[in-house]
Amino acid sequence: MKGAILNVTENIAKTIINFLEKGLDKKCFDAVLIPIKVPAGDSFAWVLVQNKSLLKDANPLPPVMPVQGAKALSSITKMGKTNRKIAAIMRPCEVRAAVELSKLEQVNLENIFLISIDCPGVLPLKDYLGRPKEAMDKFNKILHSAQNDIQWGNESTRPACQVCDKFIGTDIGFCQSNLHIGILGTEDKIIFLIPNNESGKSILNEMDIEAEKSVDNWEKKAKEIIEVRKKKRKEVQERLKSEVMGIDNLLDTFSKCINCHNCRSACPICYCRQCYFESEIMKLPSDDYLMRADSKGALRFLPDTLLFHLGRMTHMSLSCVGCGACEDACPMSIDVSQIFNFVADNSQELFNYVPGKSVEESLPLKTYEEDELHKVEI
Amino acid sequence: MEEKIGVYVCECGPNIADNVDIDRVMKTISSLPDVDVVERHKLLCSENGKKFLKESIQKHGLTRIVVAACSPKQHEVTFMKVCEEAGINPYFFQLTNIREQCAWIITDKELATERAIRYIRAALRRIPFHKALVKKEIETNPDVLVIGGGIAGMEASLLLASGDRKIHLVEKTDVLGGKVKELDKLLPRMESSLDIISQRIQEVKQSEDIKLYTNSEVEEVLGFLGNFVVKVKTGENKELELRVGAIVVATGFSMLNLKQLPRYGYGQYDNVYTALEFERMNIDGKILRKDGKPPKSIGIIHCVGREERGYCSGVCCMYCLKFANYIKSKLPDANVTEFYQDLSIPGKARQKFYEDTKAKGVNFIRSNEVEVMDKVIKYKTEEGEEKTSSVDMVILAPAIEPSGDTAKLAEMLRISQGDGGFFQEEHPKLAPVSTSMEGIFIAGCSQGPKNIPESIVQAQAVAGRILSSLIPGKKLEPEIKTSEISEALCIGCQTCLEVCTYGAIYFDEMKRVSVVNEVLCRGCGNCVGSCPSGAASVKHSTTTQLHQEVVEALR
Repeated sequence: MKGAILNVTENIAKTIINFLEKGLDKKCFDAVLIPIKVPAGDSFAWVLVQNKSLLKDANPLPPVMPVQGAKALSSITKMGKTNRKIAAIMRPCEVRAAVELSKLEQVNLENIFLISIDCPGVLPLKDYLGRPKEAMDKFNKILHSAQNDIQWGNESTRPACQVCDKFIGTDIGFCQSNLHIGILGTEDKIIFLIPNNESGKSILNEMDIEAEKSVDNWEKKAKEIIEVRKKKRKEVQERLKSEVMGIDNLLDTFSKCINCHNCRSACPICYCRQCYFESEIMKLPSDDYLMRADSKGALRFLPDTLLFHLGRMTHMSLSCVGCGACEDACPMSIDVSQIFNFVADNSQELFNYVPGKSVEESLPLKTYEEDELHKVEI
Repeated sequence: MEEKIGVYVCECGPNIADNVDIDRVMKTISSLPDVDVVERHKLLCSENGKKFLKESIQKHGLTRIVVAACSPKQHEVTFMKVCEEAGINPYFFQLTNIREQCAWIITDKELATERAIRYIRAALRRIPFHKALVKKEIETNPDVLVIGGGIAGMEASLLLASGDRKIHLVEKTDVLGGKVKELDKLLPRMESSLDIISQRIQEVKQSEDIKLYTNSEVEEVLGFLGNFVVKVKTGENKELELRVGAIVVATGFSMLNLKQLPRYGYGQYDNVYTALEFERMNIDGKILRKDGKPPKSIGIIHCVGREERGYCSGVCCMYCLKFANYIKSKLPDANVTEFYQDLSIPGKARQKFYEDTKAKGVNFIRSNEVEVMDKVIKYKTEEGEEKTSSVDMVILAPAIEPSGDTAKLAEMLRISQGDGGFFQEEHPKLAPVSTSMEGIFIAGCSQGPKNIPESIVQAQAVAGRILSSLIPGKKLEPEIKTSEISEALCIGCQTCLEVCTYGAIYFDEMKRVSVVNEVLCRGCGNCVGSCPSGAASVKHSTTTQLHQEVVEALR
């Protein structure tokens, strides 16, 4: 694998922003979709920037993920392709969600230039909101720990991020942005620009950036961390299995749920216009509830909480990119993302499918194979 | 309007009554609110039973009917007819299966009875959500497009053509007759192929009801059974628009390109011929080597390309025997050897033909490895011994392949290609000449290798299918239980377009939602299964109906 090397001026974020400014100057793209700190200073929002001078407030790697980037991209391109080129700076899980959504015509990737960055994970939203300054310091520490900490990211990031093994935006992370920015193993002195395809190469070309340098050291470091994360992911899932397997355990786990459906609203993959569980079908005449109370002795309200999660799980687990947005959104701190990740890993393995890996890979429900699913045959 | 619901429990003689406590079922169901009538009968599907059901529906003025009896596969249609006769929409009826799914499979009578009650309750739960479905009728065009003017295409055209049905026969080349025209004699009577086919060609040309387009090709096909719109590019380079009700694809076959198999020496050595080249030689009257002299020793090689193509073409064995007869009648002293892998000679006349041929002094050698060198055939015997045979002429029987246009036509007609790349029939045993597209039929070798009588049988079968379904002046009743896609719920992902086998869904670019063409839809439910946003459902099995039924069944 080959890439370009940029020297870090001031800090990594500044270097990336300089690169984007240059791209706008050279008309490689006409706008940049990037997180920018909100004026109040306590969160970040996706902003489509056309005026170069506004880029200075941008943060290509914010400490939190209030809105999953693929949702932002979907809002822009749901009705069709953009006629002008947009560079979108996103985390690998956001790129994978965008690719997944493009297969469902919810994102149109034509004229979108996806740029991913090595991702250390994000902090839980609620840890950030109260004390943004302290949280930011904490996040920066994690970001720079890449040089010595083989785990990269620690107990402060979200649980989903702690066990994420697809945090690299190249094929070793099952992610295909157009251009990936590598920051691992660089002692904050340089960054790598790694083109993943022809479009990535040609943009570097247009910007007169030579991309023939070896990135082997970066890749070695990335692979080491991936291995550590994979192991951790397995351990966590083994533990989770004993905690949630079986209907009683599941009922226990979700008994805290208040049926707010925030997890579904935050999920980039849950794109239904109306969730089945919010439709009229799920509302029953009062006699029916009484009948159900009769047969069980009692009926809890709001009802069908677990059913909602099981339904959502069945529905989107093949496309779940494990971004953790659902867990951030849960006001009751249920381990939604970890449970969904666990189920998703298993269902995806069944179809040998990695969501968001490639635009060419068709959704499992769209394809028919005579020889598949033996694992679940009775 | 308040619904009046009736439940009818069938005892099915002893079939249900023996293992389901009908009295208890009656008592429990009668106690449910909203059930107006509960009746039982010894055998509801009998004439007596149907009369009882009809009169009871009318007497009580019922608006919804649940029958608890056998599998819907057996008597759903029976009872729907009774509902219709009683004056209520047949889709306001639900058959719940307490025989196959209760009485016959549960040994414990008490459990079977509970299950039967549960199923009836589930049916009662869904039936208020039933919607009246009304049969629709569409005007149809009885005319037929036949693609391919070979023996199958001509046969179908001749059978179908009549005063009130025009046939448009489109042939790619400048002549009719297809491959049969390239043969000298026909098995087993050794009649002249040309005589037979010429007679057919004459009949086609003379028919006032067959419009023939030679040097022409089909360019576009839109529409559906009864209403196809076809664009044809004619020999005069004109573009024609035809309107037809059905399409027959009889595009025949081509022979495996022998350049792919250099071990048979075709094109490398003199006097190595394909089967069709040898037929030509016989039509011209003389079997001669390149140097103008008659051959003394001829090797006929069967199964050329069988291994590579993965199937037996089925017709080569017999025509190779025929070739031996050609040779023996013209050159009685020539030595003839047939190299075969397996002999395929089924049928009432073929064994005799084989024995007669053998008796004329033809040699048969079984070998799975045959190679043609200059004037020599090298082969491995069944015992594994390498042997050679001197020959001064070789005739090859190459595998039969789909004709070159198959893939293009398959895409245009939205039908699939199956084994070997031939057009895929709807069902290999039960529906061998229809396709997944209603109104599009396949006949002859376009569906797979076959001999002349088999091609004729298929063409006649196609004619039968069309004559019985596309009657001039008669309107068509399309499937009622079609899919529908909710405009409010569709997210425009177009997954359904990809999984619909019938080409029945299109995408409305303005509204950015998928739309079902109700005439094409056969209600298979593929779109429902794959719709990620719950927008698609099949009428009479709507999400609401199923949800209600399942909720009650699992209570």
